[in-house]
Amino acid sequence: MMDYRKLGFRCGLECHQQLEGKKLFAESPTLNSGAEPTLSVQRRLRPVVGETGEIDAAAAAEAVKNRSFTYKGDSADVDLVDLDEQPPRFLNHEALKTALQVAKLLHMEIVDEIQVMRKAVVDGSNVSGFQRTALVAMDGFMETSQGKVAIPTLCLEEEAAQKAESSDSSVTYRLDRLGIPLLEIATAPELVDPEHAKEAAEHIGMVLRSTGRVKRGIGTIRQDVNVSIRGGARTEIKGFQELRSIPKVIAFEIERQLSAIKKGEKIEPSVRKAEPDMTTSFLRPMPGAARLYPETDHPPVAVTWEMLASLGKVELLSEKVLRLESEYGLSPQLAKEVLEIPAFAWYVKRFSRVEPPFIAAVLIEIPKEMKSRLKLDASKLRDEHFEEVLSYLDAGKIQKGAVIELLSDAALGNNMDISRYAAASSEMLEKEIDAAIASQPGLTIGAYMGIIMGKFKGKAEGKVVMEMLRKKV
Amino acid sequence: MAEPKHGDSVKVVTRDKEYFGILMPRPAMLGSEHAILKLDSGYNIGISNKKIKEIVLIKASEPRVRKKVPLKKYPKLPTVLILSTGGTISSKIDYRSGGVSADYSAEDFVEMLPELKAIANVRASKPLSIMSEDASPSDWSLIAGEIAKEIDTVDGIVVTHGTDTLHYSTAAASFALQNLGKPVIFTASQRSIDRGSSDAFMNLLCAVRAAAVFDFGGVATCLHATSSDDYCLLIRGTKVRKMHTSRRDAFRPINEKALAKVLADGNIEVINPHYHKRHDGAITLKNSFEKKVALVLVHPGMDPGVIDYYLEKGCKGIVLSATGLGHLPVNNRKHSLLPQLKKASKKGIPVIITSQCLYGAVHPFVYTNLRRVSMEGGGIFAEDMLPEVAFVKLAWVLGQATDYETVKRMMLESVAGEINLRHLDDEFLT
Repeated sequence: MMDYRKLGFRCGLECHQQLEGKKLFAESPTLNSGAEPTLSVQRRLRPVVGETGEIDAAAAAEAVKNRSFTYKGDSADVDLVDLDEQPPRFLNHEALKTALQVAKLLHMEIVDEIQVMRKAVVDGSNVSGFQRTALVAMDGFMETSQGKVAIPTLCLEEEAAQKAESSDSSVTYRLDRLGIPLLEIATAPELVDPEHAKEAAEHIGMVLRSTGRVKRGIGTIRQDVNVSIRGGARTEIKGFQELRSIPKVIAFEIERQLSAIKKGEKIEPSVRKAEPDMTTSFLRPMPGAARLYPETDHPPVAVTWEMLASLGKVELLSEKVLRLESEYGLSPQLAKEVLEIPAFAWYVKRFSRVEPPFIAAVLIEIPKEMKSRLKLDASKLRDEHFEEVLSYLDAGKIQKGAVIELLSDAALGNNMDISRYAAASSEMLEKEIDAAIASQPGLTIGAYMGIIMGKFKGKAEGKVVMEMLRKKV
Repeated sequence: MAEPKHGDSVKVVTRDKEYFGILMPRPAMLGSEHAILKLDSGYNIGISNKKIKEIVLIKASEPRVRKKVPLKKYPKLPTVLILSTGGTISSKIDYRSGGVSADYSAEDFVEMLPELKAIANVRASKPLSIMSEDASPSDWSLIAGEIAKEIDTVDGIVVTHGTDTLHYSTAAASFALQNLGKPVIFTASQRSIDRGSSDAFMNLLCAVRAAAVFDFGGVATCLHATSSDDYCLLIRGTKVRKMHTSRRDAFRPINEKALAKVLADGNIEVINPHYHKRHDGAITLKNSFEKKVALVLVHPGMDPGVIDYYLEKGCKGIVLSATGLGHLPVNNRKHSLLPQLKKASKKGIPVIITSQCLYGAVHPFVYTNLRRVSMEGGGIFAEDMLPEVAFVKLAWVLGQATDYETVKRMMLESVAGEINLRHLDDEFLT
């Protein structure tokens, strides 16, 4: 095990999370649709004289390429704001609310008045030539297994357009992603080792998901990891496909820097891409300090007391898991999985005669068993199937054992026919038990149990059969 | 210690925190509840003034000195004068001081657009610095006067201007600069030039190119033809209108085709050859505009007292932006404008009828109600002239003549291509 402290290991994270809802400064929906583009415009970007009166070196370098940019999109989710043909509409209030909720969950200080800024972008990924971004909160922290980690900034910003093709003379971008609200959360470079980086990323992801307002799926959350060691140089690693790979990618990067140091090579600060084999490859030199100008098309947004009061209390998913465990007696694993099913709480309330752990089992474990043991496509099951089967259970019309049978019927596209699984009467059970003992005397209780349960397939409850057997064997 | 000013590095001390950054200016309109601070990260935040205990000066800002490289003159290249009058194309704010940072010298233009060096020897002056919504007829006179003064010393002139009333100013220049033998190209932008994506760059390049080399004697606009940065349209100064609040290609030719395309690569392709070529004849400046002229939008339920107001105020002429073919209420007892038209007629005040449809011409006879306007009311039907152009023209005509019949005759003659009697199928919505 490497001693990262001795290496002078410094590591911080930057998480970018897309939010659900409309675009940040437009009324367009955020579809990430990837539909065939129906519109196309060509633009050029010029370096402009910056605040210091000088043209930014990176911008000038880009301009020398004299590339043209083609923007393609579909009117389903692209309007004149995305095409930079209309001024921004007012900052999406829902997105701001989510940002403020996350700020509170991360113990941050929310700024008194939010100023929308333009961050100069020279690669064409923003049609306007800049990304709109606003610092919403500062100076927070999160608790981790290695102590507190500071969260210096939370920004609400526009997602960039996605590169579709590129050549020496032109780059084509798709606009469906442009303008989707994005939260950017940065940690201080206080992560002590690669595993800690993964934990921090997981924790931030959990906090974000707790709002219930974030997009899910590939590409909707991205982590950039900044690492350096003594004698090396700051490296920003982008493009992690999954959190699991973070520790390994960081470890490999540190090894790369260590071997370079050993060989006496100079390591330049750079942005590198995480490859599927956990190594990194060079993307571009580290950009200079961001160039930010006020977005003169948008007034500042004062964060009012009313806004803060309307945020409500957001329960962290991690707290919710603990609550589900203690309130309903769920196993930690089941509690975690049932969180993904928003209807669970409602089912618990509505089907009060069914114990909550069994409701969780019906929703989580039975579909898994159908898949693994019965080779059925449980993804065909809809909310109404679960509701129907739970209502039969709640009304005492079926035994627990019939649930998997009924859901299997539903997965096969058949109606749920409870008459086939109507609970067996105790007389019938008693008759069958007597018959079984008579025909095969001397077996263990377990063996008789197997015979009877096999015969009644879902119509008898194991507990009842066992009690009867105990009296007779 | 001195009171910190905008642009200074400061420490802001609040009840529970210290912030370091640069103190930023705050427009008065936004109220004074917050101070704006630019943090080291580049982000600005507003800090509630109620929380601030003190603002400590750390380092005063130093005035920025910009070196200007004098431009070389190339005898073989044409000379183009850029006249800046203001507008978005001149909007470049120093975000530290809040002031306007460029003075729009020739050096500034060439620094912004190095390609200009290969097109022309650029000269520049700034006779005006206004947003175009604030422009008035005296500004039209001033711009035309500047052009007339300089035109003999250059090969063409570019006027940069705000977009909102650009088409009023181009119409005014078209009428004021009689026998113009060189290109006078007005350009503007819908995005400020401090953003890399601004439409100003291609618009200016194409405008300077057209002013330098296009074989044209007249006034035209030069702005984006499409949403792409591919080419600009040269549109006659009396047949152009801003047709969109924010798009780059907002300026469209109305009731005739654009004169030419100016491509980003420098080529110029003529579309509509009905224009005057360059010539050496002397320009005649007629830049007086009557200020007591009104442009009134006709609408259902309008109060005829609006017209009475102008007549009582001593208005010398009125342009009505009427409906359809030139209609206005004539039968509705409460809203009929006929009594006012007759009153104006009696006073010898010309009332010009144009259409708020913009596309197409008005017609004095098609419907009975039109005949009542033209024959009973004496309305002067101004063919396919745009309402704004008719308004500028009326102000100009009244600046040259006062006799009713002369004014009427001049209004119905095409002086600067403002009236077309033939309309082609493919001129609509282009």
